Amino acid sequence: MSQPLKGRIALVTGSGRGIGNAIALKLASQGADIIVNFFRRRDAAEKTAKDIEAMGVKAQVIKANVGDPAKIDEMFDTIGNDWGRLDILINNAASGVGRSVMDLDVKAWDWTMDINAKAVLLCSQRASKLMEGRGGKIVSISSLGSSFVLPTYAIVGVSKAALEALTRYLAIELAPKGICVNAVAGSAVETEALKFYIKEGLIKDTRQATPAGRMVTPEDVANTVAFLCSEEAFMIRGQTIIVDGGTSVAPFATPE
Amino acid sequence: MSVEEQIREIVAKIVHVDKSVITREGTFKDIKADSLDIVQAMVAVEDTFDIEIPDEQAQKFQNFGDFVDFVERCLATKERA
Repeated sequence: MSQPLKGRIALVTGSGRGIGNAIALKLASQGADIIVNFFRRRDAAEKTAKDIEAMGVKAQVIKANVGDPAKIDEMFDTIGNDWGRLDILINNAASGVGRSVMDLDVKAWDWTMDINAKAVLLCSQRASKLMEGRGGKIVSISSLGSSFVLPTYAIVGVSKAALEALTRYLAIELAPKGICVNAVAGSAVETEALKFYIKEGLIKDTRQATPAGRMVTPEDVANTVAFLCSEEAFMIRGQTIIVDGGTSVAPFATPE
Repeated sequence: MSVEEQIREIVAKIVHVDKSVITREGTFKDIKADSLDIVQAMVAVEDTFDIEIPDEQAQKFQNFGDFVDFVERCLATKERA
């Protein structure tokens, strides 16, 4: 199997579970050493690291709440000391509070924006310094909630819109340094988080066939992220690639 | 200040309640803490005492007393190490 990312070092935030886990495994399968960041579930992160090492590449687990700027600094200090450089940053870690707009308070706003948007800025700033002189790839994970209204998704949608705007600005500012910056937005992706939302009654069960005939999986998102980390995607800058099986371009389509 | 008192102060500050309403037998629900309050309390306690409280462990806490007991056990283990 070809290993186009052999010798590259990738940090995937929030990679113990779900989409982050799939991205970490995909990049590892292409030869990259992976830094597995987690916040709440050490067991899941260690399992991810074990699976990565089984592929013959290196893995390091780092706990950090990316919603806390001091913890981001500590994480990048560790990466700088232990690895000395970074080639790929995947801003995947996300959180949110399922409420309607009128029920949002300052605490919910700050919590979500800190993790989903401010962390993208701070991690990208620190990562770009570790990429200097060699170039690199930054890919952030968004969702269709940035452009469309989803039930109780207000603050997450707003944070993802900020992430996408930031992606455009970062892409232009970092282009002269050879750093490619893009985002990937999935529709409802079959993960634990989605099951939680459905179980809590926060969103309706949308697990229906997309125009492409099935649900989007974490691996579908991971495949697109891996493409954006490849040299074939060199001329794609500041874009948000939608991975939704066609749902967003066919809002009135009824699956047969 | 005891560990219990420190945790009580942290929780009171996050949930915006008076310390006196947080009893060992009381629950987060009793003091009207929402899921974000609970996560923030766990994170603040982890940072204060430099310990880890796994989510699956936190879900087993029946009341504030269980939470305090778990933190005290973590600190005792840390001291022995």
